[in-house]
Amino acid sequence: MIEFHLDGRSGVAPYMQLIHQVRQALRLGLLRVGDQLPKVKDVAAGLAINPNTVLKAYRELEYEGLAAARPGIGTFVTGTLDGGSLAAHGPLRRDLQRWLAKARRAGLDEESIEALFVSTFRSAGEEEIA
Amino acid sequence: MTWLTWRQFRVQAFTAAAALAAFAVLLAATGPHLASLYAASGIRGCQPASCGHLASNFLQQLYAAGTYWVLYLLGVVIILLAAAVIGLFWGAPLIARELETGTSALAWNQSITRTRWLAVKLTLTGLAAMAVTEGLSLMQAWWAAPIGRAVGHGGGGTNLAMGRFSSLVFATHGITPLGYAAFAFALGVTAGALIRRTVPAMAVTLAIFAAVQIAMPLWIRPSLFPAEHTVIPVSSLQQISLQQGGFNDSSFNLGTENLPGQPGAWLLSSGAVNAAGQATSTTPAACTARSMRNGNPGFLDCLASHDIREAVSYQPASRYWAFEWTETAIYLALALALTGSCFWRLTRRLT
Amino acid sequence: MTAVIETGGLGKRYRRLWALADCTLSVPAGHVVGLVGPNGAGKTTLLGLATGMLAPTAGTIEVLGGRPGAGPAQLARVGYLAQDAPVYAGLPVADHLKLGAHLNPGWDAELARARIKRLDLDPGQKAGALSGGQRAQLALTLAVAKRPELLILDEPVASLDPLARREFLQYLMESVGEQSLSVVLSSHLVADLERVCDYLIVLVGSRVQVAGPVEELLATHHLLSGPRRDPGSLPDGMRVISASHTDVQSTLLVRTSGPVLDPAWMVSGVGLEDLVLAYMSQAAGRGRRNHLEVQR
Repeated sequence: MIEFHLDGRSGVAPYMQLIHQVRQALRLGLLRVGDQLPKVKDVAAGLAINPNTVLKAYRELEYEGLAAARPGIGTFVTGTLDGGSLAAHGPLRRDLQRWLAKARRAGLDEESIEALFVSTFRSAGEEEIA
Repeated sequence: MTWLTWRQFRVQAFTAAAALAAFAVLLAATGPHLASLYAASGIRGCQPASCGHLASNFLQQLYAAGTYWVLYLLGVVIILLAAAVIGLFWGAPLIARELETGTSALAWNQSITRTRWLAVKLTLTGLAAMAVTEGLSLMQAWWAAPIGRAVGHGGGGTNLAMGRFSSLVFATHGITPLGYAAFAFALGVTAGALIRRTVPAMAVTLAIFAAVQIAMPLWIRPSLFPAEHTVIPVSSLQQISLQQGGFNDSSFNLGTENLPGQPGAWLLSSGAVNAAGQATSTTPAACTARSMRNGNPGFLDCLASHDIREAVSYQPASRYWAFEWTETAIYLALALALTGSCFWRLTRRLT
Repeated sequence: MTAVIETGGLGKRYRRLWALADCTLSVPAGHVVGLVGPNGAGKTTLLGLATGMLAPTAGTIEVLGGRPGAGPAQLARVGYLAQDAPVYAGLPVADHLKLGAHLNPGWDAELARARIKRLDLDPGQKAGALSGGQRAQLALTLAVAKRPELLILDEPVASLDPLARREFLQYLMESVGEQSLSVVLSSHLVADLERVCDYLIVLVGSRVQVAGPVEELLATHHLLSGPRRDPGSLPDGMRVISASHTDVQSTLLVRTSGPVLDPAWMVSGVGLEDLVLAYMSQAAGRGRRNHLEVQR
């Protein structure tokens, strides 16, 4: 059974943090299909947050097809995140390799490439949310 | 609610029980001896002519012994104070302490209404208050029965010889202690409900209770029933108090402590009246020249020859229980009115 | 959804001062409701009216569909925890549980006993010797074990240290999850409420400034910053809560149900604390102009 934690200062809504942690656990293999997620009241009691917040996160996961609630028993993992089958993303990988070559030819060193990538990645993510 | 009332009342209950027990032990230790003294005094089965003399001897003997007088007074004082102590320590904190400490928010948000909370608390504690005070009174009455009987047979001439109507005896015997306790308790609870702090409520309760307890025997009790009046010859007076004064003994004051033919009556006032029935305190000229002193039959004969007689207003002994019931009813009515105001104040929701 | 608390123009006056005025709320069930506002704003008054400890001077209030404090059945449905968690100092913990058992027909003795055990409280210890946090936990146990539908708490964590505060809220959330309780708790600190409340009522200067689900409030309040502008020039659907200006820039906190379309504005979200503070300062400003001051 995984355990949740909350970062009160991250600016991310608590329910989103819970969803992220479930997805991360799925990617890392800490959660597999059929595993039970912690009970709503236990999460609420452990983190001192509103049970509705936990319910909302679990419902969102259900909507994404990652979990399903069994009334009276609990919520169970039903889906996976294909973080491991990178092979399915061959075209994306080739595009990325071409971009990296371009960046090196432009004179960027490794740190600059990483910084460029991270800042673009982050601002793209914010635009999605906003 | 009964459990909670008892649980919160426990300490006070044990204190009261201890006090009753101590009082009982004290009386039980000395009561039988008092009874045997009475048996030896020969008052029981005495001849009417000698009863008064025997009774007075017995009472004076007791008084001279010292301990019985002290115990008698102690008992009377304890009973008088019991009602006040109950009003202060059982009544005043009942509501005030809950408001002060904030526990009223705890008690009144359980699943019982404030009405029920107050009703159970008042009933149980109030009954206990009346029982304790009346219990003390009954124990004292049992112990002092020989004294009472001696006084009833006409015994006198000592401080111990207090009649049933005297302030101290009336307030501590019969059923009046029950009424005082109910009133003091209700007064304390009401003061606590209005003032909402325990110590000020105790002070106010004490002040008002004391004032009422002084006012009752002085002004209210004597007028509960219309007094009887009679005029008697000065020669028939017993237990005279005579004061002579003024220039050349020109004025006098003639009073009496009992009324012949009305044993056990409560004398409200007595004084000399002239032939026309008006009060007089001027010594007739002929009587002042005598060199007689107080109580000398000669002075009284002189007064009698001038048609001066004694007017007495009194309450007959037969009215004793009427007075007891009436006074107790007054106190109980006051207690009920105060209790009602408490309920009204508490259940119309606090501000 | 049924309302746990329904008020219409509710008001309470003490002598000449209105401690609460014009309060119209419909608080839905199944939420943890935060009642936030500065000291003296009327929070305790509103909660007192909800429990039946106080009588209204004006308007109406209905709790769980019934009149507050009217009869044992109504009292059994509402649990209350007063400020500073009053308990009987001379009574041991076990006797407090007995008190609950004797005075509440719906008392869950097993729940209470298990809770006291988990809290590591000594049943024989007098309640007066407990720490502040332990007293609060005991009082909460008493309120929860009578199995109410609605739990009302007046500043329950105000005087607790951070650990006790956390443990108290943990227990409260556990009870909410287990018993599907509705909760109304008041605080003058938003930080206390942020994690646990999903419905918010802001009470300032004896009046309700804003009330609604936290999610909706956060979604409809935005911080706009851009070139200096007169707040009155904003479109009608936009209500300015607070505004601050420099010579070139305006920063406005607005409430609006639609999107902000004007490209001149940089729009960002607003945290709950800043939202509440904006309403508090707005009310304070209005109050200063009207010479209103609620005294305690």
